[in-house]
Amino acid sequence: MSDNTYQLDPHCQAILQEYREQLPRFQKAAMEIYEQLKKVLDAACIVVASIEYRVKSEQSLAGKLELKGAKYASLKDITDIVGLRVITFYSDDVDKVASAVDRLFSVDWANSVDKRKLHEIDSFGYMSLHYICSMEGFPYRFEIQMRTVLQHAWANMNHDTGYKSGVEVPKEYLRNLNRLAGMLELADEQFSRIRNELTDYRRRVQALVASGNLDEVSLDGDTFRSYLRLGPFDALNRRIAAVNQAEIQDVNLMPYLSVFKGMNCKTLGDIDRIIKDNAEAAYQIATYQIGLTDLDIISSSLGPQDVCIAAILRSGGGKLGLKMLLDTLNGVSDSNEMMADFLLEQTRDLPFMNQ
Amino acid sequence: MEVKIIEKDNVITALLKGRLDTSVSQDVATQLQPVLDNAGKTIILDCKELSYISSSGLRIFLTVRKAAAANNGKVIVRDINNEIRQVFMMTGFLNLFDVQESSTAE
Repeated sequence: MSDNTYQLDPHCQAILQEYREQLPRFQKAAMEIYEQLKKVLDAACIVVASIEYRVKSEQSLAGKLELKGAKYASLKDITDIVGLRVITFYSDDVDKVASAVDRLFSVDWANSVDKRKLHEIDSFGYMSLHYICSMEGFPYRFEIQMRTVLQHAWANMNHDTGYKSGVEVPKEYLRNLNRLAGMLELADEQFSRIRNELTDYRRRVQALVASGNLDEVSLDGDTFRSYLRLGPFDALNRRIAAVNQAEIQDVNLMPYLSVFKGMNCKTLGDIDRIIKDNAEAAYQIATYQIGLTDLDIISSSLGPQDVCIAAILRSGGGKLGLKMLLDTLNGVSDSNEMMADFLLEQTRDLPFMNQ
Repeated sequence: MEVKIIEKDNVITALLKGRLDTSVSQDVATQLQPVLDNAGKTIILDCKELSYISSSGLRIFLTVRKAAAANNGKVIVRDINNEIRQVFMMTGFLNLFDVQESSTAE
């Protein structure tokens, strides 16, 4: 595009020409900054909604120069030629990302701005953290904006009505937008609070599980997962495997959560008692089934499977109880009825059935 | 022991026929290589004509399962007979695989 397209004085034309010459360098730097930032955030386990990067278009730069070109002595004074935006899920994470940016790049504090702190106690609006940065080997500064998805949503909605539109917007409309900003700020705070409370809850549960206070821990997905980390079926599986010197194939035991809930377990203590009360019977079942075979591979679900079979049979659950167990674990199927018959027949004369 | 591989509509089916025991396991593993090479697809191990499976056979099934898991694929074990189903139950393998019957299969 010719410089005649834009209303620029010679000074601004020189800035624009430098931009054109340096464009490949800006594009390379933008990608490098993005990759460095992504690597650091991944390493710190900071999960973000997105990281975007862009190089300012010639048209956008020319527009900026037309409006306030005299303000810039050179291209180096324009700090948003390369721009990145990190969108986080939680407001707490904006500060974590900022800390990562601070460690990774040199931040020009005099020109960086925390828009979150610019609001008076009775005003709401644009909330974002803008850092002006530089890095070795690249002589231009660049901008990194950090905000939450809700702040991002508000900023996008506000963009049509805000400072760049050039259109006078009714005050009532702006008031509604600002009310929305206040609501989203509250929502951001609540999301962070919920996450923190959940993290605290998980820590408390892990501590209770580790200390053995299992009766105090309600049964749910999180608590059951913590419990499984203790390897409650390991001893039984090893004992069963020893019968045929079998190898044990580790599998996910989370499907047993539904089984234990179906057996009216309310706490991890309830499950622990079922295991302790039925481990010997489960061993009898497994020994009877594989002891006379040459099967030398089992899955780690064999222990819990046989514990549940033993518990059902000892509590009088019979064929129906066994079929329900198999339906829960393997999906509803006619063959489960046949397998329930098979299990009844195999366990009928085992010692635990006659105690 | 015969293995026949059929590929259709992004589904790769291995038809297994005969007894899958230690004596044939190496040969079956070789014949199943095309299945492992396509582990990102839906794999059906069709056992309609499989009459017996030993620990070696279970290990082959496990290899297919691991390859599928590593490639975001899926393994369906279809139409196992009662004896093989009992072996799966006795070893805990029934919880390990998506075991289906033709009448209820996807």
